[in-house]
Amino acid sequence: MTTITGTPAITTKHNAGVKKVLHIIAPTVGYTVMIIFALIQLLPFIFTISNSFKCLPAIQSFPQSLIPVPPSAVCEKKIMDEGRERTSVMPASDTSKRLTFNPTLDGYKEIFDQKLPRWVFNTAFVSLTVMFLRLLFDSLAGYALARLNFPGNRVIFFFVLSLLMIPGIVLLLPRFILLKEMGLINSYPALILPFSASLFGVFLMKQFFESIPKELEEAAMVDGAGRLTIFFRLVLPISTPALTALAIFSFQGMWNEFLGVLLLVSTRSDLWTLPLGLSFLRGQFGEQLRWHAFLAGSVITTLPLAVIFFMFQRYFVEGVSYTGLKG
Amino acid sequence: MKRSLVLVLVLTLTLAVFARTPSSHAQDKVTIQLMGWSSSDAENAALQSMVDAFEEANPNIAVDLQLVPEFDTTLQAAFASGDAPNVFYVDSSKLPDLVDAGVIAAGDDQIVDQDDIYPSLLDVFTIDDTLYCAPKDFSTLTLQYNKDLFDAAGVDYPTSDWTWDDLAAAAEALTEGDVVGLVVPAELPRWLPFLYQAGGSILSEDGTEVTFDSEETAAALDFYVGLVTDGFAAPPSAIDSGWGGEALGKQRAAMAMEGNWIIGAMEENYPDVNYGIAELPAGPAGKATMAFTVCYGVAADNDHPEESWALANFLTGKDGALMVAEAGFGVMPARLSAADTWLQVHGEDFQPFVTGADYSHRWVLPIGFGDFTDTFNNDLKEAMAGNLTTEDIIADSVDVANEILGQ
Amino acid sequence: MIEETSPHVGTVPPKQLNTMTNKKIGEALAGYLFLTPALLIFLVFLVIPVIVALYLSFTDWNGITPLRNKDAYTTVGSDNYQALLTEPGRRQTKFFIAVKNTVYYVLGVVPTQTLIALILAVIVNQRWLKARGTFRTIAYLPSITSSVVISIVFLWLFSSGGLVNGFIGTVYPDYKAINWTDESTGVFHWVLKQFGVTRADLGPWASEKHYGVRTWDWISGPSVTMLMIMILNTWTTIGTMMVIFLAALQNIPSFVYEAAQIDGANAWQTFRKVTIPLLRPTTFFAVTLGLIGCFQVFDQVYIIGGGDATLTVAVLVHRNAFGTGSNMGLATATAMILFAIIFVFTVIQRRFFGGERANW
Repeated sequence: MTTITGTPAITTKHNAGVKKVLHIIAPTVGYTVMIIFALIQLLPFIFTISNSFKCLPAIQSFPQSLIPVPPSAVCEKKIMDEGRERTSVMPASDTSKRLTFNPTLDGYKEIFDQKLPRWVFNTAFVSLTVMFLRLLFDSLAGYALARLNFPGNRVIFFFVLSLLMIPGIVLLLPRFILLKEMGLINSYPALILPFSASLFGVFLMKQFFESIPKELEEAAMVDGAGRLTIFFRLVLPISTPALTALAIFSFQGMWNEFLGVLLLVSTRSDLWTLPLGLSFLRGQFGEQLRWHAFLAGSVITTLPLAVIFFMFQRYFVEGVSYTGLKG
Repeated sequence: MKRSLVLVLVLTLTLAVFARTPSSHAQDKVTIQLMGWSSSDAENAALQSMVDAFEEANPNIAVDLQLVPEFDTTLQAAFASGDAPNVFYVDSSKLPDLVDAGVIAAGDDQIVDQDDIYPSLLDVFTIDDTLYCAPKDFSTLTLQYNKDLFDAAGVDYPTSDWTWDDLAAAAEALTEGDVVGLVVPAELPRWLPFLYQAGGSILSEDGTEVTFDSEETAAALDFYVGLVTDGFAAPPSAIDSGWGGEALGKQRAAMAMEGNWIIGAMEENYPDVNYGIAELPAGPAGKATMAFTVCYGVAADNDHPEESWALANFLTGKDGALMVAEAGFGVMPARLSAADTWLQVHGEDFQPFVTGADYSHRWVLPIGFGDFTDTFNNDLKEAMAGNLTTEDIIADSVDVANEILGQ
Repeated sequence: MIEETSPHVGTVPPKQLNTMTNKKIGEALAGYLFLTPALLIFLVFLVIPVIVALYLSFTDWNGITPLRNKDAYTTVGSDNYQALLTEPGRRQTKFFIAVKNTVYYVLGVVPTQTLIALILAVIVNQRWLKARGTFRTIAYLPSITSSVVISIVFLWLFSSGGLVNGFIGTVYPDYKAINWTDESTGVFHWVLKQFGVTRADLGPWASEKHYGVRTWDWISGPSVTMLMIMILNTWTTIGTMMVIFLAALQNIPSFVYEAAQIDGANAWQTFRKVTIPLLRPTTFFAVTLGLIGCFQVFDQVYIIGGGDATLTVAVLVHRNAFGTGSNMGLATATAMILFAIIFVFTVIQRRFFGGERANW
């Protein structure tokens, strides 16, 4: 079932048999594990996507269903109600008996009636800006902590690590008051500045830079290159995997940030990001969640990130790391 | 890397352009901020049209309507930073905190036509003989029942003469297969009507003594929890629902005890469910229900108190109350003069909601009693699961209540 | 492998020594320069709020009265800390219930997610695997979703008539549907019950209260609903952890493996003796982050949980800070104690994974 493209060279007689067996077993086990795992990881998404195309009663009918049985059926019917025409939805009990899959865009329509395009723009703009600032600031700081000797190096790292342990919720109010005093509430800078460097990112980059062999930089030092040059010309280019990881973490973290940004722009709906908008939708419909709109919103929130991740994930593998270090 | 640096620069500049907040053009125009949470689309639209009407009537005042996510947190942060909205929603349970913090203005001398407001609602927003704000609207708890399921089981519809025994008997008769007779949330405010129907109370009249450890409390708990342990009632989560209305709509429960908010939800999501409304049953000590209400508070630290009160009075006054009634999204206007209009819009079937106002109790506990509610809710849930007894609930709750009062 | 390049100071001629010090000063300057932007941001937006929070933990501020008002708060010394830690009462009970739940949560989630992520990263890193990009993307997908959204979707999947129960019901027809979203029974209690052990069987000591919580309740394990939140969080975090491990695996130069191959090591030996030791700093990193993140778990519990069975310390902080009867002094004190707990756990785990390579 699978083609094996293992290394052809078998070095010792003793290992030959073992290797052959391993080359068959490992992929079989590996594929099995990965496929089961992939299914578990994917299921909630398939479910979300398929249900986002159902109408409300179909989503709520029990037992729950994956696509397409039992389906959304005919969700709407026009009924005459005291002379005026109105749209009625099928009772849940009816829909579960039908067996046709009849997708509807109700949820998407409903969510686009909100300020969705504006929220998508805000989220993308803020996330991108924060990502670039973090790539720069975090890698600079991480490099200093990993490589440069100066008094207080360890103390500062320890300090950064400790700050990471402070529960974020408790900082919401002091930070809000601080930003208010700075006159930044309800503005893009409020969404960007506090997040433009991350403790996590500094920690991440430090750990990565530490794992890079020192020889390369030492060679460059001998050639008389300055620290800044070495960092930008030598270290960063070979750190693509780490930078890609940081970029993805930062972008995705900011894209989904909820509590951290909640207070900063909550009174200006045109500055909201997607999580704020979705949370508003959740509140808007009271305890009765408008599932179809919510699920449609979830799909719109998640899809761009999935595409971006798929585009960039290859840099983890095919990045240019260490080409100059072998041999 | 250079390219990304340039990009960062460009982005930062763009940001600077975007960051400029629009300055207000007219200097003589006063802007009032009104902060609230978002309800249904219909309710939001109704509020917006009321605000529009106010602006039209008061050309020198502009209203900045802010409907926010996570309202409680947002409002609290606004107060703490010393920059509160001029007018804001206040849930009755939150009022003691705001009064204690000194951030809400007294409204005794400001609220118009006070004798037209339901006395029980004025009472909700009165602390230590000071009236703080005028109610925006209110809801009472009633009994909703699925007529089709009643017909199928051959049970007579609930009437205003129903007692606990009738409710229990009907719940038993209606429980069949996936359907339970009654959906009962494991929450203090939903159980409180039964405590009051039994003649019990949490605190003495003056609020200095815990009166919770009583036979009445035990009777009310035994009845409420007993329905669940006997299998004739269930909390919403046990029947795949987020709340009682959903259980009624999905036909997983034959009866629910919700407030006015169920009207809009049923119409919007389950228009084909044929349901009726009755008063809550009477207990050993007669009838009782709960009133849930929200008012428009005015900030104590306020640059424009006059305009703020003008807005609050417009929204809660006789005209505002009529607009609430006519909007037809379920909640009732807090003014006696608008009750008939509300009934006309919704229909006579909804009379029990209005009747409930006559014998409703307020949902407000002294400051610090959030812990009491919390302890009670936990124990009630455990008791419904069969892990705790009535005595356990009472003992734990009384301990906490005494500790709070002792401080 | 590489000779120590910096020569012994005693053997260096004076002139060279001079340039060495200059170099050191230059390096130190560069270090500070590199750190400045990040530190400045941390200082303003983290350190200042932390100091404010620390100060507030010694006050009785309600979190509502404007902070600039003179009478907004009074300092109360260590009262808040005492109410949480030493004074018997509702504060102490709540706090220790939250601590208990959180510790169970951490002990369950951190090892599980780290182990699974490591295994997956190794598989995804294999050259024979086709469609690696797709697998990586799929594995990472859950990390992409917002916690608000995915918590609600999980609530729905795990409801008593939901897909998960439906699936278990198909596999085990005898299965009686569990209401995952609202089931406060402790997992260990449930297991004990299968062996017929209840609180009453254990004698009076089981009902004795320590720090406001009964011995029996201390050994409850996570509640069923908490278990569901643990599954949810493991599910979402595996992708992130996998990416971290993957990046580290990529960082291991291929000549290391080639050397192992030449020495005749098989795949398992290579993994045990080469990969695992080289991944140590990364494991330390992943476990540290996992610990910190799990101890602070909030979003998922805030949306899914309710009641004592799922109360975590971070949720308690939020409730004290913004709930009815808000008490910011108590909330900040709770947060500071949580900080101390995380600190201790991090130091302990450093002994396991940090070793010599964690140089702090």
